[in-house]
Amino acid sequence: MIKVENLSKVFTKKDGTNFYAVDKINFTAGDGEIVCLLGVNGAGKTTTMRVLSTIFQPSEGTAEIQGWDIKKHPNKVRENIGFLSGDTGLYDRLSGREFITYFGRLYSIADNIIKQRISEMATLLDMNEFLDKKIEFLSSGMKQKVSIVRSIIHYPPVMIFDEPTAGLDILTSRNIISFMRDCKKRGKCVLFSTHIMREAERLADRIVLIHKGKILADGTLEDLRNTSSQTDLDDIFVYYINQYTDETELRANEF
Amino acid sequence: MNFKHSLVIYRKELMEVLRDKRTIFTTFILPIILYPLIIVGFNSIMIRQTKSLEERGATVAVQDSVNNSISRQLIQDLTKIKNYTIIPYSETTSRLYEDKDIQCIVTIRDSLGSDGTQFFKVYIQYDKSKEQSRMVFNKLSEQLSKTEKELQKELLQSFGISPDFLNLIDIRERDTSSAQKKMGMLLGMFLPYIVIMMLFAGASIVAADLVAGEKERKTLETLLVSSVGRLEIVCGKYLTIITLAMLNMIINLFSISFSLKFMLANQSTEMAGVSLPLNAILILLIAMIPLATLFAAILLSISTFSRNIKEARSYEQPLLIIAMLLGMVSFFPAIEINNLMALIPIVNIALLFKGVLINEFTISQILLTIFSTVVLDVIAIIITIKLFNTESVLFRTEEESGGLKVFKRKPKTFFNPYNGILYFSIALIVLYYLGSYWQTKDLFSGLIQTEIIIIALPVLLILRFLRLKPKEVLRLKNPNWNSFLLIPFIAVSAQIIVSIISQLINIVFPFPEKYLEALSQLYKMNETPWKVFMAIALLPGICEELLFRGFIIRFFEKYSVRWAVVISAILFAAYHLDPFRFVPVLLLGLLLGYLAIRSGSIYTSMFSHIIINGMAFVLVTYSNTGWVKFIAKDGENLNYWLIVPALIIFCLSLYAFHKVTAKGEDKCVE
Repeated sequence: MIKVENLSKVFTKKDGTNFYAVDKINFTAGDGEIVCLLGVNGAGKTTTMRVLSTIFQPSEGTAEIQGWDIKKHPNKVRENIGFLSGDTGLYDRLSGREFITYFGRLYSIADNIIKQRISEMATLLDMNEFLDKKIEFLSSGMKQKVSIVRSIIHYPPVMIFDEPTAGLDILTSRNIISFMRDCKKRGKCVLFSTHIMREAERLADRIVLIHKGKILADGTLEDLRNTSSQTDLDDIFVYYINQYTDETELRANEF
Repeated sequence: MNFKHSLVIYRKELMEVLRDKRTIFTTFILPIILYPLIIVGFNSIMIRQTKSLEERGATVAVQDSVNNSISRQLIQDLTKIKNYTIIPYSETTSRLYEDKDIQCIVTIRDSLGSDGTQFFKVYIQYDKSKEQSRMVFNKLSEQLSKTEKELQKELLQSFGISPDFLNLIDIRERDTSSAQKKMGMLLGMFLPYIVIMMLFAGASIVAADLVAGEKERKTLETLLVSSVGRLEIVCGKYLTIITLAMLNMIINLFSISFSLKFMLANQSTEMAGVSLPLNAILILLIAMIPLATLFAAILLSISTFSRNIKEARSYEQPLLIIAMLLGMVSFFPAIEINNLMALIPIVNIALLFKGVLINEFTISQILLTIFSTVVLDVIAIIITIKLFNTESVLFRTEEESGGLKVFKRKPKTFFNPYNGILYFSIALIVLYYLGSYWQTKDLFSGLIQTEIIIIALPVLLILRFLRLKPKEVLRLKNPNWNSFLLIPFIAVSAQIIVSIISQLINIVFPFPEKYLEALSQLYKMNETPWKVFMAIALLPGICEELLFRGFIIRFFEKYSVRWAVVISAILFAAYHLDPFRFVPVLLLGLLLGYLAIRSGSIYTSMFSHIIINGMAFVLVTYSNTGWVKFIAKDGENLNYWLIVPALIIFCLSLYAFHKVTAKGEDKCVE
């Protein structure tokens, strides 16, 4: 369960002015639900996810992961999330097994349990063949599988995917997508970000449309279709963005 | 903080490092092969070279312009040297000498002493830069003195005097230094330097990779979202660097000592059987740990700050040069460890290392060395942890302004810190070369030239050039006259307090005798007192205040006036190019900066500066006369009890000064 309340993240630009990468956003994501954070590049998706996973401190507002406040209990928050992004790097000189074990230990899981979980998941994802090979010799699909196991080694109830398919080929992308569906089936709360409309359309139970740090729409695809009276998600997206731009221009004209 | 997590990170980092073939090669294999190859190989080549030079022989041309029995015997004896060909001097000789076919030309002449005795003068012409030619010269002079001895013997015997008189005084040496100490002396020269370099090299093998590398390979984010804390990450990585640094140092050291041993054993000198005592090795290893941790902390902070490995490496370069230069201190035979040296990082380790090797050190020096290194170490670690918690640093991307902001941002106004440091550096260089040159030529006129031409004039010219009003910029404004009346009290009491502080520093870290002598020279110039007063009190008071409290302070005022005072005081202290007076001058600089800023008038700080310098002059010049005797015991040292009234007067008058000058009388200039 993710609950975001009035969350803002401010960066200071080179010239000393403040810049709201995330501007007072509110949304929730429930257990067994896939929520998509949809927006163009630079909309504030990654910043939101970095704040949620406690890499960044929020400037204003807060959020809760499984009831833990991200400001007050960052450690508890990190224990409860699995984080995966499309461009995650791996340690080339370790084998897949060592890589996963390393992170398992960092979550303070006992070695025998790590071993057991790895063998279960390796069978499930069909990775026994390459698990003991050094990561530098693995294909990108194999690497992605290693990353997947790494992200769920501590059985997190909440999964956060930051552009999980960015830069991956179609087969590898399919692996990730089916993994996300699987997470949902197991009752996990899944939040993922993308700028690809089709992905949002196929996967998400709810879509949160983010633009210039602000949330423009939040609802099921059906809700968005009804409000915008458009069928195609592309058109819906453009509709909301135009609306936002019109509004701001109108406001600017008032002065 | 969970130390287990740090250990997990530590183990993983070590495992990764040890799987890297390049690291393995540079850390383990290279030193093991390299030193034996260099030391033993070089040594055997040298021995062979020397032997072949000796066997090669030489051709020597002899010109005998005396031509009597003695000169003939001299030449006769020269032919006794093995492999040497003696040829008579001819017209072609000088050409042959130039073509290096002849190594030496010997000319024999004679002269008459006052009592009519005939003396012989033997001129040997040779090329000192040539190893072979030098060797021939040595052989020839050796042979000539042998012949001389023989001749003297014959002469004495013919007069019926015992030839033993020739050995009236027999000089014999007894060396009390043990072979151990000699070895220590030898090793103490270069080993500290090598060890420091190896520590640095070992640390830098992994440091850049550990954080900047994780940023580059995009693994840092994954690490940060796992349940490990940032302090634990820093700790684990920090331990990795220390381990590699120590490992690299120890392996290199062992390889060097084994090769040296082998070389010495071959030469069968008295040092051959000597080995370092175990306790010395232990002390050295323990003293090396703080240095390793210091390097680790600094390099880790660099790595954290940098976006990628390349950037980290470029920041490491200047650091390496500084470490090298400081480490070279061990090459100077005259510099030995003392309490003051024990406070300077790297230098202290190098000197302590040397001290331990020749068994001349104290426990307090070890403790001071470790203490001062650890202090710096802690600062560097705190910075690293701070950097690790600074999002803008940890996630600096390519597009964002890279590198140190101060140096990249284009200055918009003339008075910015960048220009301030630049101006100061130029002034310092000019002072160092030109000022010192003038002052060594003639102290009095040199001082005056320095103050006016180097310190004051450029400031006025720059303001003129930029069309800025000197009155505004330099705060040449009339002060509040009430506050002005307080200046003598503030200045005199401050000078007393600072002098006593300086005396106390002198007790803990004694100033070298030579330095004190040079300093007192300043006050005892061969000029009339009022002229000396002008050169060391009046002019510095005016010119240095114009530069530091008028000009340089302006560069730093934009961000914080307080820091401007502090920075200008630090630069003021640095400008004196005198490590022994750094702290006293710094304190005075703080006071003068405060006075100028608070009152908004530079005349207050000028007046105090003149009084402060003038007082030092009066105390030295009129020591042991009248009232000066009362406050200073032996002319130069003030009585310690003075600090009590001085502190009281200082606090009261400064408080009064603060009251009568209202805040905010002055604003920054853009």
